[in-house]
Amino acid sequence: MSLVTQILTILLNGLQNGAIYVLVAMGLSIILGTLKFVNFAHGALYLIGAYVGLLVAHETQLTGGKLSEWGYSTVGLDAGFFAALIVVPLVVIVIGFAMERTVAQAFYDRPDTDQILVTFGLAIVVQELFHIMFGSQSIQFGQPDWAGGHITLPMIGNYPQWRLYVIAITAVLVVLVFLLIEFSDFGLVVKAGTLDAEMVELLGIRLSRPYLLVFGIGAALAGIAGVVGGPLQVVNPDIGMAILVPAFLVVVIGGVGSIAGAVLGGVLFGIIESALISIAPAWSQIGIYVLAVIILLARPQGLLGSEEVAP
Amino acid sequence: MSGDSPAASEDKPEDPGLAEIFFPHGKELRTMGLTAFVLVLFPWLFTEAPVVSGFLQGYHPLASLILIWGIFAFGFDILLGYTGLLSFGHAAFWGGAAYAAGIFSDMYLGQPLVMVGFGILVGVLLSWVIGFISLRRGGIYFAILTLAFGQMMFYLSAAPLGDITGGENGFTGVSVEPLLGMFDLGAELPFVGEFIGTWLYGFVAITTLVALALAYRILQSPYGIVFKAIRENEERAEFVGLNVWRYKLMSFIISGGFAGLAGGLYAIHQQYVPLSSLNWTVSGDIVIMTVLGGAGSLFGPLFGAALYKYIQNIISGMGELVIPFTDIVLIHDFGVYWHLLLGVVFVVIVWAAPDGIWGMIQSVRDKVNDVLGRTKDGDS
Repeated sequence: MSLVTQILTILLNGLQNGAIYVLVAMGLSIILGTLKFVNFAHGALYLIGAYVGLLVAHETQLTGGKLSEWGYSTVGLDAGFFAALIVVPLVVIVIGFAMERTVAQAFYDRPDTDQILVTFGLAIVVQELFHIMFGSQSIQFGQPDWAGGHITLPMIGNYPQWRLYVIAITAVLVVLVFLLIEFSDFGLVVKAGTLDAEMVELLGIRLSRPYLLVFGIGAALAGIAGVVGGPLQVVNPDIGMAILVPAFLVVVIGGVGSIAGAVLGGVLFGIIESALISIAPAWSQIGIYVLAVIILLARPQGLLGSEEVAP
Repeated sequence: MSGDSPAASEDKPEDPGLAEIFFPHGKELRTMGLTAFVLVLFPWLFTEAPVVSGFLQGYHPLASLILIWGIFAFGFDILLGYTGLLSFGHAAFWGGAAYAAGIFSDMYLGQPLVMVGFGILVGVLLSWVIGFISLRRGGIYFAILTLAFGQMMFYLSAAPLGDITGGENGFTGVSVEPLLGMFDLGAELPFVGEFIGTWLYGFVAITTLVALALAYRILQSPYGIVFKAIRENEERAEFVGLNVWRYKLMSFIISGGFAGLAGGLYAIHQQYVPLSSLNWTVSGDIVIMTVLGGAGSLFGPLFGAALYKYIQNIISGMGELVIPFTDIVLIHDFGVYWHLLLGVVFVVIVWAAPDGIWGMIQSVRDKVNDVLGRTKDGDS
């Protein structure tokens, strides 16, 4: 493998790694930026997305957990991946709406610390529900048939096709969210509300519905990340918490509330991870934390964050 | 600090002696005396006492484990409950100290006192560095920075430092010598062994008492009261002329020191240091214990730690939930739900009763006192 090939492979792998971070972090970031709500249960939404996606797309044999004890050892609709890609956002957006109306609204006026604590508790509850129902086993989330196998790329050679789809789906979603926030009335209201919520309300615009939608969209993005990311690794009840920590770091190094920041941070993390995996595998998990600490110390508001938002 | 402590009111013109200063008086003496009494009685009630222990189903090693987590929890509460800073990285100090104490025992000396001392040292040094950096940011940034540092430590000991720490397997070389070269920690205490248990429990209980007295002193001192001022209103504390940042850092270091103490004890207790002791779930657990028991009080977190460890170790093994003294089964396979149960209770507490279970007990006590027409005797 020549050096160029190696570098290109690292970059492409990094892009694909980062894509999942981007999807999770983007929702986290717009919720934190506009609603000022710290959602430690965002990983739980990713977890729900992965499991619901698994259940819709495939038929799964369970070996542990209450469901199999109750006689449902084979679960799933086996309706294919496209169905999952449509059902999951719908399910998770509803969960997101419910969450905003109950938990988030009750905690908007309470300190950050309380928001972190209550959502952290919720994350544990969701994780444990999955533990109990589906058991602690890791389940293989099969790739969709039409995207299995490898594809030959110039310079790089054989590359798993699904990974390219992950990058493509993420790119499409990023563009959609960006257009929605930047060029729609809804986005305008949301951005105005971020700057001065009181003034917007005085102008006769109700903010509670746009806020609800922001929360729902953020949740749905995490859900989609669960479906898209599922086939890249295995699905088990701990993946929600596992993605939460890096996703939060992506948000803060990118700059809270900035979509471009979330994309930049996510891709940066992905590339650092994939580079370290091929250069110094033992350090692969540490790189992102070191990077996060350095960036936060040098530029506390994040790479693309604005000065005012940072407390 | 109220001026009516006995030391101040006694008519001695000369400076009070060292013993006078260091020995507890008044309310502090009563509190510590009561705590000592509970610590002596606890293992018996937990494991041996008729009816009660049959109901609780405790065992000796769990009694000392509860106290160790208790130290960790009330130390953490100095930061969370009193200074108002939420750290998600205290696993770094707990696990770091446990590794340090364990590795120290393997390479140099397995004397429990020295191991614990080394644990404290490592806890303090680590929290100094991590606190110094993390405290530049407030709120969620602080929580996430501490989390990042904690995870960094976890992955460091998992792979790059695997030769020293044992990597995924944890550190297995802990070798604990007898206490002061005389008393084997695993042996029963003389005379009272039946009642209290092993030297290990004795050692842990005395350490707990000393640590608790120290934390009590810190929080009652003018220095500790500044912590509360920062929690109540950081800006105002700053305007009064206090160097808020330094107090925050000191609060962080103090809680790191207690975490180090507890971590050192943990290495002695387990004679093994698992890699999971550095995982961020430990940081999450200590947050849960503290909030569950009651952040902002000294005994609340201790109680929360006991409850958490009890549910984790005893309830989780329960087959079915039966209404006491009957045969009516409420839930089959109850133990499986232990973590879910904890999560739900935690959410409810954060939502509706931020003072935790200890706060509830106190408010009930206050109500009873009101009804009886008695006045509150200070804030305990």
